[in-house]
Amino acid sequence: MGRGLTPYLFVTPAMLLLVTFGVLPILVAAVVSLTDMDISGLANRDNVGFIGLDNYQRLFDDPDFRDALLTTGFFVVLGVPSIVVLSLGVALLLDRGDGRFVRALRAFYFVPAVTGIVAISLVWGYLYNTQFGLFNYLLSLVGVEPVQWLSDPALAKFSVALVAIWRGTGLNLIIFLAALQGIPRVYLEAAALDGAGAWRTIRSITLPLLRFAIFFVTVTTMIAWLQFFDEPFVLTDGGPLGATTSASIFLYQEGFRNNQFGYASAGSLVLFVLIAVVTVVQLRLRRPDAQD
Amino acid sequence: MKRRTALLLAAGLVAGLAGCSDDDGDNAAASDGPLTVWIMGDSGANFEQLVEPFTADTGIDVEVVAIPWDGVDQRLTTAVASGDGPDVLQIGLSKLRTFADAGALLPLDDAIADRPALDPANFAEGVAGDATAVGGQLVSVPWISDTRVLFYRSDILAENGIDGPPATWDDLRADAATLAGRGDGQYGYYIPQWDSPLPVVMTWDQGGDIVGEDGAIDFDTPEFAAAVDLYTGLYADGSVPTNADFDQTQGFISGVTPMLISGPYLAKAIADAAPELDGAWSVTTVPAAESGTSLFAGSNLGVWHDTANEDAALDLLEFLSAPQTQLSWYEINGELPTVTAALEDEALAADPLVQVYVEQLADAKVLPTVPNWDGGVGADLLTALNEIVLNGADRDATLADLYAKTSSVSID
Repeated sequence: MGRGLTPYLFVTPAMLLLVTFGVLPILVAAVVSLTDMDISGLANRDNVGFIGLDNYQRLFDDPDFRDALLTTGFFVVLGVPSIVVLSLGVALLLDRGDGRFVRALRAFYFVPAVTGIVAISLVWGYLYNTQFGLFNYLLSLVGVEPVQWLSDPALAKFSVALVAIWRGTGLNLIIFLAALQGIPRVYLEAAALDGAGAWRTIRSITLPLLRFAIFFVTVTTMIAWLQFFDEPFVLTDGGPLGATTSASIFLYQEGFRNNQFGYASAGSLVLFVLIAVVTVVQLRLRRPDAQD
Repeated sequence: MKRRTALLLAAGLVAGLAGCSDDDGDNAAASDGPLTVWIMGDSGANFEQLVEPFTADTGIDVEVVAIPWDGVDQRLTTAVASGDGPDVLQIGLSKLRTFADAGALLPLDDAIADRPALDPANFAEGVAGDATAVGGQLVSVPWISDTRVLFYRSDILAENGIDGPPATWDDLRADAATLAGRGDGQYGYYIPQWDSPLPVVMTWDQGGDIVGEDGAIDFDTPEFAAAVDLYTGLYADGSVPTNADFDQTQGFISGVTPMLISGPYLAKAIADAAPELDGAWSVTTVPAAESGTSLFAGSNLGVWHDTANEDAALDLLEFLSAPQTQLSWYEINGELPTVTAALEDEALAADPLVQVYVEQLADAKVLPTVPNWDGGVGADLLTALNEIVLNGADRDATLADLYAKTSSVSID
C-alpha cells in the first residue's frame, strides 16, 4: 500500500459517517423537495410526481412560513445575546473564587443542561400554569392578577425563550470557565503590577483573550437558536395561535403532522441554507481580527 | 491492526447502506403467524383479555400492540414506508381518511358481502357504511362509539337559580353569563381551545353543515356565521376562561366551569377524581337550536392492505362485531358499542349516563372525511376563531381568510 493512500484510509471511517448521516440526508431532502411526496407516495412510489420548484414557490408565498421565520429571528435576537452575556457574566463571577461553595455552584449551573427536556417541560409547565402555577401564586401574594404565561401570544414567546436561556446557559458557562482557566496567570499578574483594577483587567486582558471562546459560543448558540425546537415543542406545541412556531416547529408540523414530505423538505433546505449563510458570514467577520 | 479495524468498519457501513436500500422486497409475515392488532391508547391489556375466547375458539393467536394516541401518525408513517404493518388496526375516525389515502387499508366491500356480521346495517347509522366510506369504498367497520354530551353541575346551577341544564344554545349562553357573574375567576362554560369539532357541532345545531353541495368545505354560510356568533359571544360575555392551560376536569370539579361539552371519558375522570361529587353533576344531550346534533367520534377497525392473514383478520373483525363481544368490551374498558343490538341491550341501558349517550348517538354525525382534519381544516378553523376571541383580530377579515384557505379542501 503506497504512502499516498494511507491518510485517506484513516479518514475513511469519519468520511463514511459524515456522508451517511450528514451529506446523504441533505441530498435526499433536496431531491424530495422537488416532488409532491406525501404519505400515499411513501406507500407507492408511483404516486410521487416531480413538480420542479413549486414547493419553494409555495413556501415563499406561505404567510405561515414567513411568520415562522420571523418568530425564529425574534428568538435568535432575544436568545443568543442573553445566553452569551449571561453565561460569560456568571463564568467571570464563578472564576473569582475556588471554595467548596463555588464549586457546588458550578455544578448547580450545569444541572439544567443535563436535565431531560421532558422533565423540564413538566416542571416549567407547572411553574407557568395560570391556575395552579407557582409564579401566579407568588404574584397573588402581592395582589397581582393571574398572568397567562403560556396562553398570551405576546408573553408566551418570552416565557418559552426564558426556559431555553435557562437551559442553554450551563453548557456555555463551562466552555467559558475552561477558557478562563486557560488564560496564563502572567498576564493577570502583569496587569496587577501595572495597577489595573478588576474591571480594567477584565476589559483589557480577560475579554480579548476570551475572544475565541466568545466567538465559538456565539456561533454554536446561533445555530442552535436558528433550529429552535425543543422548548416550544414541549411547552406550547407552537401555540398559542402560532406565536411560538419557529421554523423547525413549522417544518415538523408540515412534515410529520400533515405528511407533506416534499413541502417540508423544501422548507428544511431553505433553513439549512439560511443557517449556512449566517455561519459563513460570522466566520468571515471573524477572520480579519484573527490576524492582528 | 488499526488499519484493519478501519477497513472492517468501512465494510460494515457499506453493507449497512446496502441493507437500507433494500426496502422494496415483500416482507409480509408468514400467513400462519399470529394476528398482529394495533389498539390505540392504553387499552392493550384489556383487549388481550377480550380476545381470549376468540383464540380459544379458532386457535388463532392475537398479538396486541398498544399505540399511544399521539404516536399514531408516526407509527402509520413508519409502517407505510417500511411496508411492515399490523394485520388489524383500530383507527380513530378523524384519522380514517389519512389511513385510507395512504393505501394502508384493505377495501372491505367484497368481504362484507360474505360475512353478515359485518353488514353496515347492523351498526349505528352515523358511523357505518357510507358515513365512513372513503372514495366510495368501505375500508373499515365500526368498533366503538363516542359522542359529546353536556356535562353540568346540578348543585351549582340550582344555587344560582337555574332549574335545569340549558336545552338550547341561547339558554346555555344566558346561563353561562349568570354563572360567570358569581365572582372573579368564576366562569359559566368551558371551550377547550384545541377542540376543533365544537364549532362544527355548533354549526350543525344551527341547521347547517360545513360541507357544501359539491363536497368541498364551505364555511361561508349563515349557519356557520351564527355558530361563530355563539362561539365569540361566550368569550365576549366573559363566560369562558381564556387561558390555554385550563384543566377541564379540575375546572369542573372545583366548579370554576360548571358546564362543558365532552365525551364519556370525562365522566370516568370525574368519578375517579371526585367520588364525593356523585349526585352533584350529570350529563344531558347537547343544547339545540335548529337541531341537537352532536359529534360521533368513535373508532373503527380496518385490515392492513397487504396482510397475509386476510381470512383470520376478517374472522377477528366478525368476532369483534358480535353484540356480545362489544358488550364485554364496555364492561372491561368502558367504551360504548357500535352494534345497534348491543346499544339497545338492557344491561347497558340501565346506566342513566349511558342512556344519555345512546340517546345522543342517535343524533350524531362524524366530522367530514377530508384529508387530515386535525392538521388541516380543523387547525385552520381553531386558529381563525381563537384569533378573533383571544387576539381581537378583525372578524370579517379572519373569516375571509378561513374561507379562502379551506374552500379547496374536499371530502372526495
